[in-house]
Amino acid sequence: MISGGKNYVSSAPAFSNDGKRLLVCSGSTVSVFSTATGSLVSSLEGHSAPVTALVVCPASSSLLTYCWTASVDCTIRHWDFSVPECLKTLDLRFPVFSMVVPSLLSPREETDAKKRHDVFAYVSLQNDNANAKENCPKPSCGQIRKCNLTNFHAVSSLILKETERPESLTVSPSGKFLGIKDKRKLHIWKILKVDSNSAVSKKITLHHSKTITVLTFHPMERIVAAGDVTGRILIWRGFGAKKFLHSAGLVNGRSTNDEEDKPGVRENDDAESCSTWHWHSSGVRLLSFSSDGAYLYSGGKEGVLVLWQLDTGKKKFLPRIGSPLLYFVDSPDPSLSSISCADNQIHILKMPSLEIVRSISGIKPPLSHQDICEGFCSRAAFDYTSGLVAVQTQNYGIQFYSLFANRGLYEVQVCERNHQPVDEVTVVVSLVELSVDGSIMGTVEVKLPEDGFGGLVCLKFWDLDDNKRFSVSTHIYEPHRDAHISAVAFHPTRRMAVSSSYGGDFKIWVCKEEIQQKGQMLQNSGWMCHAVGSYKNKAMRAAAFSADGSVLAVAADTVITLWDPNNNVLVAVIGETPMPITSLAFVGKSDYLLSVCHNSKPQLSVWSMSKLTASWSYKHLQIEAVSCAIDLSYFAVLALLPDCIKGKLQGDGIILLFNVTDPIAVASWSVTKAIGGGLAFLKGDPSEPSQTLLTYINGDREYIIFHPFGKEAFELSTRRQDDLVFEETGQFGYTSIYGELPKLDLKRNLASSISSTASERPWETIFSGSSHMLPPLTKLCSEFLESLLEKRTPTVE
Amino acid sequence: MEEARAQKSFPVKAKVKTKGRSQKRSPEWKYWSSFKTHQIPNLISVPSLTFSPTPPHTFAAAHSASLTLFSPQTLAPTATISSFSDAVSCASFRSDSLLLAASDLSGLVQVFDAKSRAPLRRLRSHTRPCRFVHFPRLDKLHLISAADDALVKLWDVAEETPIVDFLGHKDYVRCGDSSPVNSDLFVTGSYDHVVKLWDARVRDSKSSLHVNHGAPVQDVVFLPSGGMVATAGGNSVKLWDLIGGGKLVYSMESHNKTVTSICLGRIGRDSGEDSNQFRIMSVGLDGYLKVFDYGALKVTHSIRFPAPLLSVGYSQDCSTRVIGTSNGVIYASKRKVKQVEKEKVSESSLFWRIAPLERTEKKVLRPSHFRYFHRGQGEKPSEGDYLVMRPKKVKLAEHDKLLNKFRHADALISVLESKNPGNVLAVMEELVARRKLLKCVSNLDAEKLELLLVFLHKYCTSPRYSSLLMGFTKKVLEMRADEIRDSEALKRHVRNLKRSVEEEIRVQMSLQEIQGIISPLLKIAGR
Repeated sequence: MISGGKNYVSSAPAFSNDGKRLLVCSGSTVSVFSTATGSLVSSLEGHSAPVTALVVCPASSSLLTYCWTASVDCTIRHWDFSVPECLKTLDLRFPVFSMVVPSLLSPREETDAKKRHDVFAYVSLQNDNANAKENCPKPSCGQIRKCNLTNFHAVSSLILKETERPESLTVSPSGKFLGIKDKRKLHIWKILKVDSNSAVSKKITLHHSKTITVLTFHPMERIVAAGDVTGRILIWRGFGAKKFLHSAGLVNGRSTNDEEDKPGVRENDDAESCSTWHWHSSGVRLLSFSSDGAYLYSGGKEGVLVLWQLDTGKKKFLPRIGSPLLYFVDSPDPSLSSISCADNQIHILKMPSLEIVRSISGIKPPLSHQDICEGFCSRAAFDYTSGLVAVQTQNYGIQFYSLFANRGLYEVQVCERNHQPVDEVTVVVSLVELSVDGSIMGTVEVKLPEDGFGGLVCLKFWDLDDNKRFSVSTHIYEPHRDAHISAVAFHPTRRMAVSSSYGGDFKIWVCKEEIQQKGQMLQNSGWMCHAVGSYKNKAMRAAAFSADGSVLAVAADTVITLWDPNNNVLVAVIGETPMPITSLAFVGKSDYLLSVCHNSKPQLSVWSMSKLTASWSYKHLQIEAVSCAIDLSYFAVLALLPDCIKGKLQGDGIILLFNVTDPIAVASWSVTKAIGGGLAFLKGDPSEPSQTLLTYINGDREYIIFHPFGKEAFELSTRRQDDLVFEETGQFGYTSIYGELPKLDLKRNLASSISSTASERPWETIFSGSSHMLPPLTKLCSEFLESLLEKRTPTVE
Repeated sequence: MEEARAQKSFPVKAKVKTKGRSQKRSPEWKYWSSFKTHQIPNLISVPSLTFSPTPPHTFAAAHSASLTLFSPQTLAPTATISSFSDAVSCASFRSDSLLLAASDLSGLVQVFDAKSRAPLRRLRSHTRPCRFVHFPRLDKLHLISAADDALVKLWDVAEETPIVDFLGHKDYVRCGDSSPVNSDLFVTGSYDHVVKLWDARVRDSKSSLHVNHGAPVQDVVFLPSGGMVATAGGNSVKLWDLIGGGKLVYSMESHNKTVTSICLGRIGRDSGEDSNQFRIMSVGLDGYLKVFDYGALKVTHSIRFPAPLLSVGYSQDCSTRVIGTSNGVIYASKRKVKQVEKEKVSESSLFWRIAPLERTEKKVLRPSHFRYFHRGQGEKPSEGDYLVMRPKKVKLAEHDKLLNKFRHADALISVLESKNPGNVLAVMEELVARRKLLKCVSNLDAEKLELLLVFLHKYCTSPRYSSLLMGFTKKVLEMRADEIRDSEALKRHVRNLKRSVEEEIRVQMSLQEIQGIISPLLKIAGR
């Protein structure tokens, strides 16, 4: 079983202490990437639910590679991520949504070294039971509590704050303050130097008139910045002057009640001043101070990283990132930082110049605007032979993602346009289809009309070029006049394709190369219309070629028409389903055809081609996706569970595997997030090509590959050997400036001095010669020790 | 791993046009299409064009009762001879370009000094309109002429007397040519379908050889070897082997109306495998110029002109090609000579004059000279060098730059002024994608609106653009109805628009009628 396609940007990543590794929460595992190459190095596996928080233990030595992770599965784990190994597991009994460990951040004082305090974490939990008992009018299930990590018994019963839903915690880089946002308020606690389970921290609250989305603390001073939904950034300076400092004995000169000198601060809030910056047009999503505190980074839906100079408010921009920004993380290495984007990419920035040097890219998330273009959104297309999936991306492209290797291979741009996340969606790549051997791709893009005119449908055929990448071979504008294309299907063996339209006709396209093969002339290939067909002017919603390519089935509203694709002759018309057929598939090499209807009377029907009649059918089965094995007579369907039995089974969908002759499912698996999901049979990975695997990709584009006929627990290991894990070859320090020093060639130096002596006893001659010619001792040492060890002569037996 | 930066600059591009399948860009195609055509208008039907055989290769065009000499460099008329009593039918330069002979329809042949244009000799013997006059290529003393009285005459130019009358043709003799290898051999072609080879040394006026073209012969040309002739008549150009006794070699039949004139062309290029090869250029009443490769026996190039073509000429230095039409326009084409070739010529000529005196050793460049700082920039990479390519810069047109600055209305106006409908459509589509097109239209002032209406009038019924423009036109008219009502100029454009739409509707109606007629026939044929 291989799973992958996880979301890399569900929570903030973290850098290791030397800045060479980036730890990323990916589903229930933590993936460790190399920042120099951007490739996956290792992964921490152990949690059984999504990881929500990640804290790397800071250490002066880069050898210490420990981190804490918190997860929704109610545990906190302690890892050594270089090995990778789980050292400790704490069970909190509540799902954790956010965790910070302030005491790791605060600088160790001399006294601390002698008597070590316990390490406390602040966690944001979800507690459903608490409210059920108390029967509050306001359901608030989020709680913020403390947790002793060194000496763990149970999570502290002291609740710092209750919120409607679990809020994410923010800690100041100095480890002195802890803050959360709660609608239009900020709550800030001062963290005690010596913490205990029951100690109560002091709290202040800052108010704002808009909902606050994010907050961050200044690394040195008492400054807090917060972004709100309208795109404003508020900066409170000197917060907590009254409450935090007075009690600590640091009396500041002013009397506590002079309120005339607090510009911008709402009445009674405990801050010296508050200033507002406004550049973002929509909500601020990321906010972070630079490590020296001179700059503030902000970003939002526009996909522009803004760099504010804190004293003057001057701005610098990193534009055109192309996707909403989510997190900005500084690394201990001052020349690196990372930004996480909503399109499942993490960019590693070279710091002073703000230049993207690497991108770590996961599978692209489904389009967020699917509600706008209902019916246009494309499903993922699968490459049967090479185990690729082609998914549509936000920026009008297609990403090719290797399912076995769990990494993105490349992207092609379908429409030559730039995508701005804030723009209204006017162009949609509505269909992606790959041929069985994966050598041809067809895409359909739709330009939505403005006020009723200017719409355009464009069909494109793509061929693999020399670098095994798709490049466009033919553009066809408005292939079915202004009607939208409902389906594209490829001939299994020849270079032939069919496109069907809602406008009531279908066209068969042939690649020109094939036409000219008879004349022994291979010219540049282009696709041409070979034939046009229609049946009673009914809208055609699906098309499929049979396994040998001799029959073309096109669904004309509620009936299935069968055509001879070469001569474009209508062979037969079968069936009558209650609703328009939306999907058609021939079941492998068997003579059965599968049809699916949706809407009010959903139906799955199997038609026998030899008798031209219905063989069997299921009614009231909402089918989301179907897939047929290429060689076998099996097919799998992904069905949505009806509401009445949703509670009984886990998840909201079920995969059913059928033998085509038998209406009783051979096997079934229940799955989650089935809406928008896909299903495909794949050829096994190269080590065992005879196997047929089934892959399921859910609505969030997380996927799983398994043996459909196996006994469930077949473990398929992720193919990682072909992932060349490059070790960092970057140059640091001296070498980065002056380049590599020439290696001292010990052998040659020694050889010249030894030459006269017997070679069996090198230790007698190693140190002979004048001392200034000797290589340094450290270099000699290994050689010397080696010479002392007796060499075992290889024995051949 | 994927590209670091996701976004690039995508200029707005016009839709890709479908390419004709047969059009192959061979080097020869490129050569022939490197001729840039100019029109020389305001003449009356040009039946004959002839080039002088020596540089600067001026050419003479016969039109009505005058003969005009043109300079091949400027394509401007340099002189006109008009001492003719009737329409000039044919002209010919002597091999040294000093004399020029011209015939007219009164049957008179006149010989002029090509420089001073003074009439030197008047050769009168033909009784019917004389249509052919020709100086033999290797002979400076004689002249051949032929007329509608079916006679071919060889003249002694100095004495103004016909030496021999060649009898044998049974109809009008309209064309002929002299052998490029023998001063005494020449051919004539007649409307009796026969081409005859004459020998001036044989005085019994019997032709040495004759071949039957099968149609009235319009033109005949010796190929450079002297062993073959090409004849034009009817829709075909035929190649005959004279040495082999008048055998038909090939018949080229790619014209679909009468071929009126042929001449020899040469690919005047130094490089390429087909350089300095000869071609037959033929023009016909169908308006086509065809270039025929008689080695490979195929047509290698073809251009269409919008008028029936009567005559064609090609200069010996391969730089000029002229075509005369029946409606009085001469299509004169000059080849664009690359700067490099020109320089080469000038350099070599300089070399002979100055170079031998110069020091041959190379001067060492010093930093005091500005060329020191440019040294090595023109260096060509050698075989094994690794090339670091500069990333290609995306060319942005004016409208692209404006679109990048979100100045949508300016972009629309800029592209409307550029007069490329494909680009206009591309910009409109981009504006639709940005949901800004209607806003642009509502903000246009009256002057720019006029520009838009002119464009819409011109292209809204063109099938390639109509799908967008029809809807757009309707919207424009709805939105700007008030302004249009107020302005007289705009009203006029709308009237034009209306007319073109009505015209299109009429076309559609008639097409539908035709479809109605054809579809039952197709149904029957399909059975």
